[in-house]
Amino acid sequence: MPIKPAKIKDFRGPENLKNFLGKRGYFFILDAVLATLVIAIGAILISSSYINIPKSTQVGLLSDGLMNFLSGTKIKDFNNQYAGIGGELWNQGMITDSENTLLQQAGQFYAENNLDVADKFIENASIGIIPQQFRYEVWIDGVVIYPKIKTSEHLASRNNTEILLTSKKITFGIMNKTTGELWGPYKAEVFVWQK
Amino acid sequence: MIKKKKAIFFTFIAVAIMAIAILIFTPQADVSLEKDTQSIRAKISAVNGYVDDLQSQYFETVLRALAYDSVLSLALYENSTGSFLGNFDSAFSEVILTGKINGIDIDSVTGKKIMSNNTLADWNKRISGTAKDALNVNTTIIINNVSAFQTTPWNIDAMLDVNLTVTSDVAEWRARKTIRTAFSIEGLPDPYSLVNTKSTSSYANTIKKSTVNFNQWNIGNVRESLRNSTHIYWQDSNAPSFLMRFTNTISSSGCCGIESFVNPNKLTPSDQKESYIDYLFWSHRFKDDCTQLYNVNGLWDEFSFFKLDFDDVAKYNLTQTASKTC
Repeated sequence: MPIKPAKIKDFRGPENLKNFLGKRGYFFILDAVLATLVIAIGAILISSSYINIPKSTQVGLLSDGLMNFLSGTKIKDFNNQYAGIGGELWNQGMITDSENTLLQQAGQFYAENNLDVADKFIENASIGIIPQQFRYEVWIDGVVIYPKIKTSEHLASRNNTEILLTSKKITFGIMNKTTGELWGPYKAEVFVWQK
Repeated sequence: MIKKKKAIFFTFIAVAIMAIAILIFTPQADVSLEKDTQSIRAKISAVNGYVDDLQSQYFETVLRALAYDSVLSLALYENSTGSFLGNFDSAFSEVILTGKINGIDIDSVTGKKIMSNNTLADWNKRISGTAKDALNVNTTIIINNVSAFQTTPWNIDAMLDVNLTVTSDVAEWRARKTIRTAFSIEGLPDPYSLVNTKSTSSYANTIKKSTVNFNQWNIGNVRESLRNSTHIYWQDSNAPSFLMRFTNTISSSGCCGIESFVNPNKLTPSDQKESYIDYLFWSHRFKDDCTQLYNVNGLWDEFSFFKLDFDDVAKYNLTQTASKTC
């Protein structure tokens, strides 16, 4: 049986074209709308993921930065009217070893049970390190050293933050240079989050 | 009918392709990989810092403190027992590692709480526990050897040989390390005088370094040295070092011999036929050999019966105030 060739609709001619556009146009419009939606959703997804990345990176950098600053800066290299050489604590005899790092000095205050001094010491040592839109805490041996008194805003901010990152280090030192009496080793932690 | 619906199929295919493309090319995949890499890098960096701190600071700090405490405990042990140690090296090693001497808790003998929970094993356990808590790493420290010796008269060198293994879930660190540190003997009790004056409780002699130069000795400086019980170092002297004094090894140290004057006012009887230089006095080098002894008359107003042998009279520049004992 011979196969009949398929009928091909001929849209040529002004009448036929008008007919075609009238019947099928909505498919193209729907197609364009859907494609636009897909592209828009894709663009939103991509841009939102790019927006999220720097947030966590920044918080991580800040926590590492603060920890590295505290553990890498010695008292003798720290120019501060409260915590540096010749400062308030130095003159009171609370700080005696200029070779201590800031973290070690905070650890020593903790070991000596001078928690108020440790709080104020960290507050002074970290001025300008963490931008104002961030909050932070310093813990030693599982105890909050700074801030010693937490405001309700501080607690709410900590509980509601999306990203809270920590940086950890082990600290230890010498209580008495003559006898070599030791303190530590303690786990030191810095927590940073966005307000 | 099918033909009429063809366009919507193309649309669905286009949507599906776009969805697949978004899923494949969305930056989430790259970010999570990058996040993983960053977190591993951060962890390795943190553990690396810990291993560095262990090797460069912790061991040295702990060794210096515990070596000091061990030497102090051994001196107090001699004071309590009234006898010298047979072997300083083995005693030192046992005390610093276990807090015991001949298997007995040294603090129970001395009556001072110095080595309790304060041995190398205790401090190694402490740092391992803290590291596990802070960094989630396992730290194994094996001590191969620990010793104390002297290369300078006023300091004790301590040496520690350890094998260190730190294991985390991402990497492992292995190292064999020799740590060396030194601490001053000033302020420590002189074990030689402690044992020899056990019956004389007033004779407490701690190590105090004399500041007089070798060419500045005269009667005034000898008087000050007697008053302050200072120790004196002479190059190439016949005196024993601080550590040799633990074992009553009275011979020339070579590098580190120190001596002090014996104060006759703190002795019973004060008048003895000896040279009043500590290691000569208690080793009885000139006992009853008064022909070689000289009364240092210039000091007898304050330190009656103070005598020295000829060599020391000359060494301390006292010839003009000394006269033969017999």
